[in-house]
Order: sequence, then structure tokens, then C-alpha cells
Amino acid sequence: MSTWKRNLLAAPVLLWIGLLVGVPMVLVVALSFLSRDNLGNIVYQFTLDNYRRVLDPIYLRVFWNSLLLALLTGVITLLIGYPVAYISANLPPRRRALALGLIMLPFWISSLLRTYGWMILLGNTGLINNLLLALGIVDRPLPMMYKFGTSLVGTAYMLLPFMVVAVFNSVDKLDRSLLEASYDLGASRRQTFFHITIPLTLPGIVGGFTLVFIPALGLYFVSDLLGGGNTVFLGNLIHTMATRGRNRPLAAAFSLGMVALALLVLSLYWKVSKDKSGEALFQ
Amino acid sequence: MNRKSAVLLIAAALVFAAAAAAGAQARPGEITLMTWGGDFVPRAIIEEFEKETGIKVHYKEVTSNEDMQSLLEANPDQYDLIICTDYMVDILRQNGMLEVLDKSQMPNYSNINPVYLNKYYDPESEYAIPYAISISLLLVNQEEVERLGAKPITTYSDLWQPELRSKVVVVDWSVEIMGIVLKSLGYEYNETDPAKVAEAREKLFALKPNIVRFETNTPEDSLINGEAVAGFMYSNQAVKGNAADPRLQPVFPTEGMPIFMDCWVMSKAAPNKEGAYQFLDFIMRPEIAAEIADITKFTTPNKAAEPFLPEDYRNNPMLNLPDEVVENTSFYIGVDKVLVEYEHIYTEFKLR
Amino acid sequence: MKAKTRGFGTVYLSLFFVFLYLPVLSVVLYSFNASRSTAQWTGWTLDWYRQLFSDRAIVEAFRVSIVVALLTALLSAVLGTFAAVISLWVTSRMKTAIQGMMILPLIVPEVALGVSLLFFFNAMRLPFGVLTLVLSHSLFCVPYVYIMVRLRLQEIDRSILESALDLGASTWQMVRTIILPLVAPSIVTAALLCLAMSLDDVIISTYMSGPRSTTLPVHVFSMMRVGVTPKVNALCTLILIGTFFIIGLSQLITNKRRFAK
Repeated sequence: MSTWKRNLLAAPVLLWIGLLVGVPMVLVVALSFLSRDNLGNIVYQFTLDNYRRVLDPIYLRVFWNSLLLALLTGVITLLIGYPVAYISANLPPRRRALALGLIMLPFWISSLLRTYGWMILLGNTGLINNLLLALGIVDRPLPMMYKFGTSLVGTAYMLLPFMVVAVFNSVDKLDRSLLEASYDLGASRRQTFFHITIPLTLPGIVGGFTLVFIPALGLYFVSDLLGGGNTVFLGNLIHTMATRGRNRPLAAAFSLGMVALALLVLSLYWKVSKDKSGEALFQ
Repeated sequence: MNRKSAVLLIAAALVFAAAAAAGAQARPGEITLMTWGGDFVPRAIIEEFEKETGIKVHYKEVTSNEDMQSLLEANPDQYDLIICTDYMVDILRQNGMLEVLDKSQMPNYSNINPVYLNKYYDPESEYAIPYAISISLLLVNQEEVERLGAKPITTYSDLWQPELRSKVVVVDWSVEIMGIVLKSLGYEYNETDPAKVAEAREKLFALKPNIVRFETNTPEDSLINGEAVAGFMYSNQAVKGNAADPRLQPVFPTEGMPIFMDCWVMSKAAPNKEGAYQFLDFIMRPEIAAEIADITKFTTPNKAAEPFLPEDYRNNPMLNLPDEVVENTSFYIGVDKVLVEYEHIYTEFKLR
Repeated sequence: MKAKTRGFGTVYLSLFFVFLYLPVLSVVLYSFNASRSTAQWTGWTLDWYRQLFSDRAIVEAFRVSIVVALLTALLSAVLGTFAAVISLWVTSRMKTAIQGMMILPLIVPEVALGVSLLFFFNAMRLPFGVLTLVLSHSLFCVPYVYIMVRLRLQEIDRSILESALDLGASTWQMVRTIILPLVAPSIVTAALLCLAMSLDDVIISTYMSGPRSTTLPVHVFSMMRVGVTPKVNALCTLILIGTFFIIGLSQLITNKRRFAK
């Protein structure tokens, strides 16, 4: 097949995404340069004010907060999720399917309710504090709610399955004979893990991080409910601007700011991980 | 299953879905209303109406006034009735989305207390019928306030007492919180004078150490579980908090409170106006209005409903608002032009 | 040595499942709470289950959600797999283009996507309902399938494909006999993730659902103003039990098959 004929195969995919993402993106870009009147209606008048707002130091701190939350979420889900994926992928096939099923099952439950579930656990009169008090480990409730850390736990919890599934897919197709060969050559388990297993599953790590980092950057209510609103994150800020704040043009500019931030971080990350492995996901 | 058959299956499913959706065109004998979900318009009432008239009611549930506006402006001919808050009535009216209501089709309209008519959002009361009234107020556990060594809370300014560190919960909305500060300084909600706004900003920042949590939907929970001793919230939430723990009592701050009126309005392009009028007339019946008020825990504007209200409702000052409280309330009028500035100050406040 | 690591694995996995299921268990627990509020426990009740079954709205919203989620998972599985497999043939520049575009729907904030799609579908005169819900949900689901399938294809040996073609296999035969079996597990797990994401989406669904088709998350979120009742907890508990049942059943079936062999 000639080159252009082969590329033609991609036409349906490009058409589909081009229509459903391309058109909305054009709308968002256009919107970000428009103004609003005192009723919150959009006025077709060119302005750069929205972008000036985005670059305001206060709002830049919101970008920073979200970036920090998203990066830490990526790291935490990797640290917790990698062993889970690795262990489950090495189970006998039947138990492996069971483990995977049990990992995904909680995510069929509304994330709002699971967030409330965390609040029930962590609250001042929550289950954990009651347990600690009853056991005499603490004599007054530990304040665990409404902190940055609480937002982080909740966000990581919500996005964990994406990491686990991505790494699982990578570990699952790992060629076991390579590991055997490594042992035969006298390498320790630790050496084998860091020199064979990790590099070979790097695509899974990169893919998982990507799928966790992006949603974490813009997560809408989880971080806010658990953080008690004491830290401002992008997802909620943009959502508030687009709804009650009745400022769609400003929300559009913030959205594009978030897109730019995500692309920047991801391209850096892909570059670094590619240099290390030579065959990461996005080469 | 190979890929071809999967593609075919999906194509078939989508065509089916499209057909099903296209079949959902408005038919006579149906009305569609759009507002907040849950029991904001109680299902039991809707079923009663359906049984009585044979008109089927579709209830489109959304989460905010702005979602209602987006959906209505996209498809004005898909919705008959909407309940939105006063300021949104104002916007929809000025955008020409609303139908002038024909009162002659609704004999029960006379049940509405005239005190709640002819407000800023609808000066001649042509477009909107008030449905649920709420105010923002303080819910306070005075016992705990005293135990912390603070003096009893009667005004907004009392929230600034250093003894209340991390003990106050507030609804998470810039306009409300700026409103507290502006009122405590003796200014109005839509203040634009830069000097006054700057003064409010400084005072606002001083409140931050006392705030344990910003929460719009269930602020009363923080008082019930004891992590906060005072909260600034909507009256329907305060009613729930008080019911869960009688030590939580309302305080009507002397500086003044905001009032909200959620009103019925009709889409100008409503497909079944006749059915919509029937529905409006039905829910304005005194006994029906009373039932709704008791379920939703909002103040009813229906004067004729008063005798039908249960005793605990009538004795509850958060529901049966005393005249001097109503006189001390005002709407958030014209906040839109200061919104961008307030939002910015509020974000800075939360980040402190 | 091996037994020791296996023991460690079991312990780690068990601890992980405790972490995973603790919040879920509190959701289940509070479906039996007599109080409407999660802030206090006032005693046991089955009232919410009774009310659940007489609540037409929640049952209907659940039905819409399930239909949308299944169609979304199916559509996304096909499109995502197609895009990933196509990437084996197209030029590397085209591959980069596809990858870039795949990432885009994940990065754009949902509310921006939702509002824009509302304008767009409206301009195209598409009827709002199941169709628009499935189209918009698949938008953020396809990238997941694409990435998961690409992870598997990474390792595929190009020489196998070349030799298959040399041996006279048609492209389609090759896709069917070599590639699809290889990526099938990824498709299944990704489709399960799509189901979960579709079942949980609220912002885009708010704008995409028509006047007659409320999804479960939209129903739940729209309740927040008057209060989310433990009825929703009760429904989630039933979903959980139902899914446990299905997983158990499939385990039983595979067990039987193994013994039959």
C-alpha cells in the first residue's frame, strides 16, 4: 500500500475526533477572546482581558496547587498501584481475573458517594476517630479533614484503577523468560526488578501516569469536598466560573490555560521517559 | 464476535437511540419541567397531578440556574416550566425567553401573598410566580460558643472573635461571603466603590483563620458533628440542622440578610402551555402548596396555605419568617457587574 | 524465597483491598442509617430500600445510565481499538497526529467540552438524549481504550506481521488471527473502565441529556440542593451486590469449565 493510502485508513478516526473535539476546541478558543455583558451574556467583542486574568498571580497559585496535586497523585498512585498490578498479573489466570474485577468494582459506585464515604471515615466523629478513641490511642479526635492531604488521598483513590490497569497490561505481556534468564545469570531479584522489569513495563507506567495526571489536574468535586474548600483547585474554579460565576469567556481562557499546562508537563514527561527506555508509549 | 458485526451492532444501536430520542418530541398531554432534582418539586405531588389530569409530567433535573439557562436557550421548545432563582428570572426575562403568564387561566394565583410580588426581577409580576423562599442566616450552637469563651453570636461581626478559630462553616460562594462582610460594615451587597471594596477585602481576610470549611450543600452537617459551632447557610439547611440537633438555633443577624425567591416561569416557546397552566394552578392550591412547603422545607409564598401547614412548620421562625426578619432582608441585585472582582478577592481569601 | 514473596504479595493485596473497600463499606453502612444526613448515626433502618423501589425517577435514571454506559463501552472499544491497530500501518507523522488528538478530549475541562458540545450538537439538530450522551461519553472513553490497546501492541513483533503477509495472509486475516487475540484482554479491561467512567460522568451528561433522559449521576447531583438521600446509598449497595454476584458467577463458570477439561 502506498503511504497516503495507508494514512487514509486513519480517516474515520481523524474525522470522528476532529468533529467532536476539534469543533468544540475552536469554540472554546474563540470564546476565550470574547467579552460578557452585565447579564453574563456573551458579547462579540474581541478582548485579551480574560488572558490577563489567567496570568494574575492569585490565579497562577491555583494552577500551581492543581499541578502539585496532579503530580503527587501520579506518584502516589504509581507507588500504590504498581505493586498491586504486578502482584495481580502474576496470579494464576482465574484469580487474576477475580483480582482485576475486585479492583474495578468500587468504581461502579458514584464517586460522589465514595467521597462522602471518605468523609464518614475521616471526620471528627468519623469511624476512624471513633475507633482510635475507643482504643485509647488518642484522647481527642485527630483532625484529618479539610487539608491538602485529604484532597490528595481522595484524588489518588478515585484515579487508582487507571494506573493499576495500565501497569497490569504492561506486566501481563512481560516475557517471563527474560526474568528467568536474568536469574540464571546470577542477578538478584532486586537487580532483575530494577534492570529488567521496570524498563520493560515503562510504557505501562507512562500510560498510567498520563491517565492519572490529566484527570487529577481538573477533577471537579472530590478535591474540594475533602479539602473543605481551603485550597482552590482548577477544576472547581473553572466550573464555578462557567456556571454561577456566569463568565464563560473567562472559563474558556482558564480551560485553555489548563490544556497548555497539561501539554507542557506531559511533553516533558514523555521526553524524559522516552530517553530512558527508548520505547515508551508516546514515541 | 468479529469487528464487522460489532460495527454493525453499534451502528444499529445508535440509529435506534437516535430514533428513540427523535420519538421524544413533545406530545399533547405531556409537560416538561426543569429545575433542581430530588424533591424540589415533590414526586408525590406530581403523581397526584398526573392521576387527576392525565397529563404526564417529565421532570428534567439540573444542578444550577446556569445549567437551566444553557439548556433552555439551546432548546426553548423542549421545556414548558422552569423554577429558577430571582436573578435568573431577571436574566431570562431580559433575554426574551419567558412567556407573559395569563393569570385568568390560574384562579389559584390569588392565593399568592402580594408581599412577594412585583419584585425587581419581574416589576409588574408578569412572568414569574414565587414558589419557594429562603434566606441566608446563621445557625449557632450557643452552648459550644460559650464553652469556647466567646460571647454569644447575634451579628455577623461576632464571627470574627478569635475564640472561634476553625469553628465556623460557610457556604462556598463569593457573593455570599462578600455579602457578610459588606453588611457587617454597613454597606450594600453590590458595592462597587473601590475604597469600600478594599475595606471589605481586608476585613474578609481577617475571617480566614476562623473558617474550618467552605461547603454549599450540607454545611449543617459540620454543626451536627461538632466540627463547627456556627455556620452561615440557607434557611432550608438550617431547618435540617435544627431538626437533627435542637441545640442548633437560628440567629438572624441584625445587619441584614439576603433573600432568595425561586419562581416558576414559562418558556416563551413552551410546547404545552395549556397543560403548564393547569399544573401551575394545581400547585397553588392551598393544601398542595402546604404539602410542598412541608416536604421541601422552604418558606411558602402561598398565603392561603397557612392554615394547612403543620404546627411545627408554623412555629418555626426559619420557615414561617417573622415580619421583622423579612423586612431586614434584601436581594442580591446587580451583583453581576462586580462578580469578577468579588470572585478574585474570594479566591485570594480561600488561598490564605 | 518464592513462598515468602508470595506471602508478601497476598498481604499487600489484602491491605490494598481494605483501603479500596473502606469508603465503599461506609457507603453501604449508611444506606441503613435512619438519619438522612451522613453527619450522624441515629439507628438502623430498611426504609431507604423500601423507598427506593417505589421511586420511579431513580430507577429510570439508573436504566438510562446503564444503557448509555453499555453503548458507550461498545462504541469506545471499537473506535479505540480501530485507532490503535491503524497506528501500525500509518506513517509515523500520522501516528503522532492521532496520539495528540487522542489526548485532547482528556485535557479539556469537562464543562468547556459540555457547553461547546451543547452548541455544536444543537447546530447539527441532533436530538438530545441517549444518542448525544453516548457520543459525548465515548469522546473521553476512546482515548483510554486506545492507550490500553497500544500498550499491548507495543511489543508486537513487526517481523511476525511481515512474514504473515509474505505467507499470503490478507491484512484482515492478520488482524483477526494475530492482533485481535493479542489485544483482547486490554479491550475488555478498558471497556470495563469505560463503563465505570460513563456511569459516573455528571458534568457533560448535564448538558447532553435531553428533557426526557436524566442519568443517575445527574439525578444524584441535582439532589444536592435539597439533600442527597440514603436512597442513593441503597441503590449503590444493590449495584455492588449485583456485580459481586456476577463476578462470583463467572468464577463459578470458569471453575466448572476447568474441571470439565
